[in-house]
Amino acid sequence: MTEFLIRSLRRKLFTLFLVTVVSFLIIHLAPGEPAQVDPLNPKFTPEMVERFRRAFHLDRPLPVQYVLFYRDLFTGRSVSWKDNQPVLEKIGERFLNSLPLFAVGTLLTWTLAFPLGIHAAVRRGGFFDRGTAFFAYVLISLPGFFFAYLLILLVVNTLAVPVLGMQTYGFENAPALHRLNDRLWHLLLPALLGSATGIAVLSRYVRSQMLEVIHQDYVRTARAKGLPEETVLYKHALRNALLPFLTMFGLILPGLVGGSVIIESIFSWPGLGRMAYEAILARDYPVILTLNFIAAVLVLLGTLLSDLLYAAADPRIRLA
Amino acid sequence: MGTRRILIGLPLAVSALLLQSVFWVPTYEEQARGNPARLEEFIQASIGDAAVLNPILSSDAASAEIEQLVFEGLLDRDEHLRLRGKLAESWSVREEAFFHVPAGQGGQANEAVRVAALLRERRARPEGLPPAVQAAVANIEEIAIEPPRRETREITDASGQPLRLHLSVPPRIRLLLARVDPELFAHLEAVLGEGYFLRFRPEEHLEAERPLPEEEKRRIAGEALPPVEHNPVIEFRLRPGLTFHDGRPLTAEDVRFTWQAVMDPRNLSPRASDFEPVKEVRLPDPLTAVVVYKRLHAPALASWTLGILPRHLLDETALRAEAIASGKDPAAFGIRQSRFNRRPVGCGPFAFREWKSDRHIRLERFAGYFEGPPEYRRFSFRVIPDLLTQEMEFYAGTIDAYAVQPHQVARLAGDPRFQHFSGTSFAYTYIGYNLRRPPFDDPRVRRALGLAVPVDRIIEAVLYGQAERTSGPFPRQTPFYNPEVEPLPHDPEAARRLLEEAGWRPGPEGLLEKDGRRLRFTLITNSGNDVRKSILTIVQDAWKRLGVEVRTDLVEWAVFIRERIHRLDFDAVVLGWSMGVEPDLHPIWHSSQTGPHQLNFIGYGHPEADALITRIREEYDPERQIALCRKLHARIAADQPVTFLYAGRWTAVLDRRIVIRERRGDEIRHRPIEPTATGNYRYHFNRWVKLAERPVFAVE
Repeated sequence: MTEFLIRSLRRKLFTLFLVTVVSFLIIHLAPGEPAQVDPLNPKFTPEMVERFRRAFHLDRPLPVQYVLFYRDLFTGRSVSWKDNQPVLEKIGERFLNSLPLFAVGTLLTWTLAFPLGIHAAVRRGGFFDRGTAFFAYVLISLPGFFFAYLLILLVVNTLAVPVLGMQTYGFENAPALHRLNDRLWHLLLPALLGSATGIAVLSRYVRSQMLEVIHQDYVRTARAKGLPEETVLYKHALRNALLPFLTMFGLILPGLVGGSVIIESIFSWPGLGRMAYEAILARDYPVILTLNFIAAVLVLLGTLLSDLLYAAADPRIRLA
Repeated sequence: MGTRRILIGLPLAVSALLLQSVFWVPTYEEQARGNPARLEEFIQASIGDAAVLNPILSSDAASAEIEQLVFEGLLDRDEHLRLRGKLAESWSVREEAFFHVPAGQGGQANEAVRVAALLRERRARPEGLPPAVQAAVANIEEIAIEPPRRETREITDASGQPLRLHLSVPPRIRLLLARVDPELFAHLEAVLGEGYFLRFRPEEHLEAERPLPEEEKRRIAGEALPPVEHNPVIEFRLRPGLTFHDGRPLTAEDVRFTWQAVMDPRNLSPRASDFEPVKEVRLPDPLTAVVVYKRLHAPALASWTLGILPRHLLDETALRAEAIASGKDPAAFGIRQSRFNRRPVGCGPFAFREWKSDRHIRLERFAGYFEGPPEYRRFSFRVIPDLLTQEMEFYAGTIDAYAVQPHQVARLAGDPRFQHFSGTSFAYTYIGYNLRRPPFDDPRVRRALGLAVPVDRIIEAVLYGQAERTSGPFPRQTPFYNPEVEPLPHDPEAARRLLEEAGWRPGPEGLLEKDGRRLRFTLITNSGNDVRKSILTIVQDAWKRLGVEVRTDLVEWAVFIRERIHRLDFDAVVLGWSMGVEPDLHPIWHSSQTGPHQLNFIGYGHPEADALITRIREEYDPERQIALCRKLHARIAADQPVTFLYAGRWTAVLDRRIVIRERRGDEIRHRPIEPTATGNYRYHFNRWVKLAERPVFAVE
């Protein structure tokens, strides 16, 4: 087991290194200058553009830039090119903003999708199955921002309450309980929207996986033993249908970084995804690369986690 | 069994918890109307967050908007866009002019005495001189002789090597002028003799450490000892009793510090080019700042609209303390690193309170503002990155102003709850031709192409009428714009005749040809701008009707700039320029700026235009500057180096309850908001106030 961990970590570190190199190269392939440099502003003389480039190390050869960038990143010294703020500090603040959205969204997705999928599988071809299939495909095929606008219009027009941002603007002086509930309310719509598509996709997977195991002999055996239907479905069948989801579960971690750019932008939610998007528009390389690095670490952690979960869930798999 | 219950129960419980919160949230009604504090707050929505709240560092529009409220400059512009005093109570522009005398009979010392005496005499008895020269001589307030001196200077030569120079500076005549006179030396030649100033030989007074080629020596000498020198001097008298938001007094020291901060190479200030011509800032007393310039540079005056920084928070000592307190290396810690940029302190009408990234910036009115505190108690800047949600927030009353689109204004045009404004923006859109490439080197072809473009149809169909035609490089609402220059009419027939005159005749397929070559080129613009894309199509169609073979292409912005514009690799482009008030066209239209990476990428150059551009830069008299600008406008329009299309219109919407409050003693009156003559509806922002009830004005 420890041997597996060490070997796996070593391999993953190597992959991480490759990821840093590739992402660094890709970002420098993209044309453009950091947002502080405006090439068509008459006030920017060519000498000043040159000085900016020097300050951002853009005049050095790529390998040197690479080393300088990751040295700064690991020593916590890299600063955003947009506003000179330390990158890690910026990301930390946004991470805390994104976390509740991510947590609630993930929780709703990874709970509700299972009963929905299982029920649809059991009543295959029935009204419930066809109904959920219809809604799932509607949710999957229509873009998320469309629903977001509809939902905002609906809520604002009927309830006349604010929905944008993380809290009602100008509500800072209200009593603590009000403020807490206010924050919960602002969390509701983006979290629901974020999880809707997830539930739609995941419940379809659950359905098809369940369909595969539901006619297996051991399910019939369990039924024959006289176990209640719920135990048969949720214990005997689900456990065996669960394996592919372990891989998917490992991959939800990186969703923390870029999961909901559109939702965050529409709802003015100051989260990580929106920051990444704006950093890309502003060619804020330090922020983009740091987020990219964090996302890569999360992906690798996620795969490691799913490997371990596999071993725990499936006795046929032994880590060596 | 639990699994199912958990899987269904947990999310339902969470959702229920979240849903019940709706009962705790204040409705818009409660927030916007039931809340009297809301009336005292102005909330501005913005697509993007500010980047750096420091006027010497920022270059984005969002930061500028906040800085305008937090900081104050020595000057700003009044409703007619003329400069007026802000922190400066008054200012005067004078000039110190210097010239070296040539070695006449009896050496330079005697020559200097002779010339000074001659000038004094001519000033006392100017009879017989031409009137312009008389005026120039009368403008001289003081004539003095600077004694000779020796000086050693370190410079870098053409190859970048350090070089030590020994100068024996001969005596120099110093003239103090009541006002700046760019033509002083031309006029003085009428007194001293034709070509007098050219007779001084700087290279005779210079010894370099190592021998230099004659050419190089003359160049270096000319730079070290210019025969004539204009030093415009601006003297600012500050208002007494000014304080920053933290209560510390604002003095001339802070003015000088702001200049130094801009020029400090560590700060990489994007404003450096404005302040580079400053030679020194003298402080004769705490309320006087005397700015001496190295050369004539008329845009200099307007650059003092820059917000003044508090020296006590940003000088070496303060930065050092901050670096040490935050555990950073003091040597690498400059203004760019300081926390000041996230919580600025200025002396403007609003003081900074709070900045939550990508959420909001809060300001609070500054009770000690020298013009009296603004009527609004608070100013908030909310970041809402989506235009549609901005509109909804506006309707709900939780923002007061946002970047309203013309079609959104149309939606509430008849609504009595709102008032709306529109005006011409300071930007124009044009078709630029690469004048280095045929056929664009022929002005007749450019004019013909311009005549064929149906600009009015573009304005109608693409911009829904939200634009105005423009005929030249200055913003329409400034006095520099020449109203006598008419925009090109839409006249395809005249275009055809002009092209024929230029030798382009229809070939067998109806396409224009000259010497067996077709009139063929590519028109490009950046992708992501739907308006420009539509223009591209309309123009292509119009030109095809003439028999021009036009291909079009859309290029991603960054590639467009780097590969096409900066490398001068294009035939024709659709682009726009965003202008300031200052009429300095040097970077965009002067023939010296046509290289790669420079802004005159179309390659325009005309000796008369160059001369005018330089003169405009040197003209300190507003009336004369306007006359020169109008001449330049006519010159450029005559050449048609670009086809000027239109200047867009901006739109704005406000609640009708927002009015201007006027206080005269104890009497308070309200009047509706009216844009100034130049279209600025926010000009009186500090006196804006939101009433609880919609006001009824007699005039309405």
